[in-house]
Amino acid sequence: MGKKRNGLFLGVFILFLALALVASQGISQQKPIIAKGCSLPGCHTAKAGELWGNLKTVSGKAEMIQIDTGALWTVKFDENTKVKNWNQPLNKLPKEKEIAITYVEKNGELYATLINVKPPVAVDPSKVVKVAEMKRIYDEKSALIIDCRPAGRYNEGHIPGSINIWFAEFDKHIDKLPKDKNAPIVYYCQGPT
Amino acid sequence: MPEWKKQGYPVASTVKYLQELISKDIPHVLVDVRPKQEAEKEHIKGAVNIPLDELAKAKKLFPKQKNAPIIIYCTKDNLSQKAFDIVRKWGYINTSYLEGGIDAWKKAGGEVLSGQLKKEIVYVPKPKPGTIGIEEFKKITGKIPPNVIILDVRDPEETQMGMIKGAKNIPVNELKDRLNELPKDKEIIVHCATGMRAEMAYNILKEAGYNVKFLDASIQIKKGGKYKITEN
Repeated sequence: MGKKRNGLFLGVFILFLALALVASQGISQQKPIIAKGCSLPGCHTAKAGELWGNLKTVSGKAEMIQIDTGALWTVKFDENTKVKNWNQPLNKLPKEKEIAITYVEKNGELYATLINVKPPVAVDPSKVVKVAEMKRIYDEKSALIIDCRPAGRYNEGHIPGSINIWFAEFDKHIDKLPKDKNAPIVYYCQGPT
Repeated sequence: MPEWKKQGYPVASTVKYLQELISKDIPHVLVDVRPKQEAEKEHIKGAVNIPLDELAKAKKLFPKQKNAPIIIYCTKDNLSQKAFDIVRKWGYINTSYLEGGIDAWKKAGGEVLSGQLKKEIVYVPKPKPGTIGIEEFKKITGKIPPNVIILDVRDPEETQMGMIKGAKNIPVNELKDRLNELPKDKEIIVHCATGMRAEMAYNILKEAGYNVKFLDASIQIKKGGKYKITEN
């Protein structure tokens, strides 16, 4: 019994490997498989058989999901597709949400084996400020408030009085921080991402 | 920021944002809440003047779309914030005020006009790229021109309940494999039941080089082909 199962697993593994090779030689050379935004330090690199990008559209009825990696990919899914970091229906995923899709190719179509939704960054709870507390800080002007988002987002709408330092260029703006190392600072961005 | 915004707490915009809206002709509502005399002396192009002490009574002047970008400016930010609170409480989620007000605008080299301001707020949202308007869709499906194909991307079971007369059905999950059934020299107008699968089909067809638009609305079609459309 054990030997038969091992043989089966080995066969499946070889099949997946072969499919991955086919995919990497064919599809991924024509279109980008990873979004440019993921090129920041610390981000992952996509392997063959994987797509990293932002959700464009998803239809539970059609069992299809479209991901924007800088180009459009259309991937099918079914009840066997695993979903990570998301326990609601897929069509509840917010647009532009960062996702990674692991897929296999069959008959020229892509089938998702895993849809991995980017989880919120884990932050030490003692360092988190709730929105009500944030309002008090804002009203009392008791801390420097820093918006870590790109300038375009800050320009469109920000907490009044906050300054803008995009986190990807943080090192270039150390001079904007207060001299006093004990001065309180609150950072915010686009929610738990 | 999303949570802060949802709570209706103060949101400020920069001069750069307003400059971009104006220069790119992006639909928005710009409200000058200073007294009339001050506003007529100098104001930002496209602004409508509703003095702060009249704002609370002016709700019916504002657009029906609650997601319209509304930018408020005054001379002092605390007054702008008072105006912001009034408008935001009406449910306009994309309200903000110009941080630094008209002085910040002028300081950044922004143009100011003098004379009478607009009295009416006209907000026409920019259509989503790739969409066809509801009225245009109705007109075309009333009598389908020879160079147009109406593509229904719902499931066959759904089309049993009714299909637009003259439309062609290819379910969206079969579309990639059946592209050869669609000619490249015709305009393709896609619809489904809610707009979601139609957008998906639009993305596929556009990438494949087709001339295509989609209906971003909900549609219910009866047996004889008559239908009812509701905005999403």
